[in-house]
Amino acid sequence: MNKKKQNKVYRQSLSNRLVHWITAISIFALIISGFGQMPMYKRYNITKLPGAEWLGEYSLTLVMHYVAAIVLIFIVFYHIFVHTLLKQFDAIPKRGDGKESVKIIKAMITKGEEPPSEKYLAEQRLAYAVIGVTILALVITGLVKVAKNVAFISVSHPIVFWSTAIHNTATFILIFLIIAHLAAFGIKANRKLLPGMFTGYVDKEYVKHRHSLWYKKLKNEKNS
Amino acid sequence: MQTNEVSRREFIKRSGGALAVGTVILTGTDKVIAADKKMDEKGTIIDLSICDGCAAKNTPECVLACRTKNADKFPKVDQSELKPYWPQKKFEDWSDQQDNTKRLTPYNWTFVDQVTVEHDGKSEEVFVPRRCMHCDNPTCAGLCPFSAIEKDKNGAVVINENQCMGGAKCRDVCPWDIPQRQAGVGIYMNLAPDYLGGGVMFKCDFCADLLAEGKQPACVTACPKGAISFGTKQEMKDLAYKRANEISGYVYGDKENGGTATFYVSKVPYEKIDAAIKQSKKDSNDQKPGRPTMEVDAENKLDTLSGMALSAAIAPVAGLAAAGFAAYNKMKGQKKSHEQEKTE
Repeated sequence: MNKKKQNKVYRQSLSNRLVHWITAISIFALIISGFGQMPMYKRYNITKLPGAEWLGEYSLTLVMHYVAAIVLIFIVFYHIFVHTLLKQFDAIPKRGDGKESVKIIKAMITKGEEPPSEKYLAEQRLAYAVIGVTILALVITGLVKVAKNVAFISVSHPIVFWSTAIHNTATFILIFLIIAHLAAFGIKANRKLLPGMFTGYVDKEYVKHRHSLWYKKLKNEKNS
Repeated sequence: MQTNEVSRREFIKRSGGALAVGTVILTGTDKVIAADKKMDEKGTIIDLSICDGCAAKNTPECVLACRTKNADKFPKVDQSELKPYWPQKKFEDWSDQQDNTKRLTPYNWTFVDQVTVEHDGKSEEVFVPRRCMHCDNPTCAGLCPFSAIEKDKNGAVVINENQCMGGAKCRDVCPWDIPQRQAGVGIYMNLAPDYLGGGVMFKCDFCADLLAEGKQPACVTACPKGAISFGTKQEMKDLAYKRANEISGYVYGDKENGGTATFYVSKVPYEKIDAAIKQSKKDSNDQKPGRPTMEVDAENKLDTLSGMALSAAIAPVAGLAAAGFAAYNKMKGQKKSHEQEKTE
């Protein structure tokens, strides 16, 4: 470990960071190309903006949607399996996370004392679950939508209709969740986490203070 | 060597759990994908060597029958409610042209096109009844963003007017621009009609209600010359080729858009009919949808997606394999460092 990293704690492995950023990029591409399927860009004259004509071409945005979806499906399954195999379940919600989240948010507002946390705060675990379930709903309904477009596969209409309805609704939920996820960094207390998703390291003092249970665990592991 | 064996055993144990998770996720999608039997699908033949566009009448019988049969399904518009598609200035309204029988409109689901074609040194008058072809893998249904279009068990491709927002994507992706839009009707009027939606798309539904009762579509029974035949799709296909063979003619609709339930038979090549329609549209400066061309071997836009669908199906397996590889390496690394620490 070099000197610079002495005051840091390794929080996000390269694998985690890749999963996060590939997910982010593919979902961004899916939202852009997905809106093209609505069809929105021609209606609202967005295709008239310089460089935006291609957004009105279904053949282009549809291929883009498929490619980004394939990347997302790969990464979602990688993510689920790699953590299952490694028994890493830090981000899964635990009993009492709802109550604890309220306490943490209260503490953030009143600048009071937060309850001691593990690798993830209770509210982060809840956010992970909600985002995860939404993405899974999009992936599963998306796969049904892909299947029904294949000539030799016939999917019954009610299943197609409800998959589409869930897919469209989940899209708006996910956009809202992404905005909330980004808005979380408007709160100063959360900003120290940002470098974790870029370099993998976060400030040691921050971990000691805010993720004291995780810090203890890391120390114990080192000593054993 | 022993290190590897131990971690391999542990790895297999953990893989079991991971596989269980994956199976739960995948079975959901597996269950819904089951190939239906296509035996019940119906079809029609439109024989252009017989159709004369009901020359003695003002309006062909098939068109009249269709209009009568579907009159109660035609859009009922309050014209004072019509608004442009913000931020655009236009909107599509056919309510003041309900009597137009010369093209496809929301109020006219079939019409008989007429072109003159040079063939075998003769000038041939060709009458082409046009309507939805009821494709095998309809692009309109596949790409509708609300899944408002259903292909029923008889093969009829039907737009559900209560689910249609009128974005007209179905018309854009149809090789023949068949569905036509009427503003001022449909669910968008109950949402935010100033900013969202454009109306409802209307087209021939193969008289789906009659087919469900075991009856024939209105245009078939109305044709005084028997130019339109009805039967199972397979029967119609076989008969169309037989008939084309008899007159040294051609079939249209079997290969187009990946296959349809409508088989045109003509002794004039369709390339010529297509060219004549295109020329006529150009001459009359009518480029609006509602007068379909007849492009031979029109490609199905969904077919190009099939290769990618396979990749999408493989992606979960690839994700699992990559996870297995990454996890195995990590576990091996951990074991090694742990043992090193022990020996130190």
